[in-house]
Amino acid sequence: MTTLTRQDLNFGQVVADILCEFLEVAIHLILYVREVYPSGIFQKRKKYNVPVQMSCHPELNQYIQDTLHCIKPLIEKNDAEKVVVVIMDKEHHPVERFVFEISQPPLLSISSDTLLSHVEQLLRAFILKISVCDAVLNSNPPGCSFTVLVHTRDAATRNMEKVQVIKDFPWIVADEQEVHMQEPRLIPLKTMTSDIVKMQLYVEERAQKT
Amino acid sequence: QKAEGDLSSSSDKKVVLLPCKNPPSRKRVQVWLKARKQYESLQKGRRECEVL
Repeated sequence: MTTLTRQDLNFGQVVADILCEFLEVAIHLILYVREVYPSGIFQKRKKYNVPVQMSCHPELNQYIQDTLHCIKPLIEKNDAEKVVVVIMDKEHHPVERFVFEISQPPLLSISSDTLLSHVEQLLRAFILKISVCDAVLNSNPPGCSFTVLVHTRDAATRNMEKVQVIKDFPWIVADEQEVHMQEPRLIPLKTMTSDIVKMQLYVEERAQKT
Repeated sequence: QKAEGDLSSSSDKKVVLLPCKNPPSRKRVQVWLKARKQYESLQKGRRECEVL
């Protein structure tokens, strides 16, 4: 059994790598399941030992990668409280918000042998829940788009500014209408607790979508 | 001291951020998809011609 702290070299980076890889798969899958983009741009791949749908549109893939590249330093320092995939209608009002609530323990007691396979199992359960979430959600209106929000602290944004990609991919403070939804219906999808991260995923759905 | 306190509390303030850029629109992606399908069918036609 090895005891690691957040200060240990590369530990935060390992957690950020695992979470960002997961979030990339999750975002692609949400966009497919919620029909934000035509199904023709998605291809079946295998992640976490389950089939998932990933986009093959270069611009969209780059956008998702750039977004996560900017969020990664925040996750690394345990400064990303929530990562939210927001689906918006034509008028740019949110209709659905997929909220990933993330928290990391400051002190860890982990066995490196079992760690990765255990985390993979837990993340697989999230992917499976996302792939069937359309059964519990109402259809979205046509012409929806999406954005990704990150809930952090003002001081932590300096970590973000260190990332090279931010120069071509700047971030701004979200408007109230992008952050909050009036009387949303709350649908819990999945919770996980592991040695390295606690995460819960729920969907906030607008009562009247059309 | 007060100014320092104000500064630390404001820097610890919670914020919600989003990218300035928008992802490609559905319409733009649809145009790309249509063009890709046309290109693929053209390539397929060429390969069939070469075989003949």
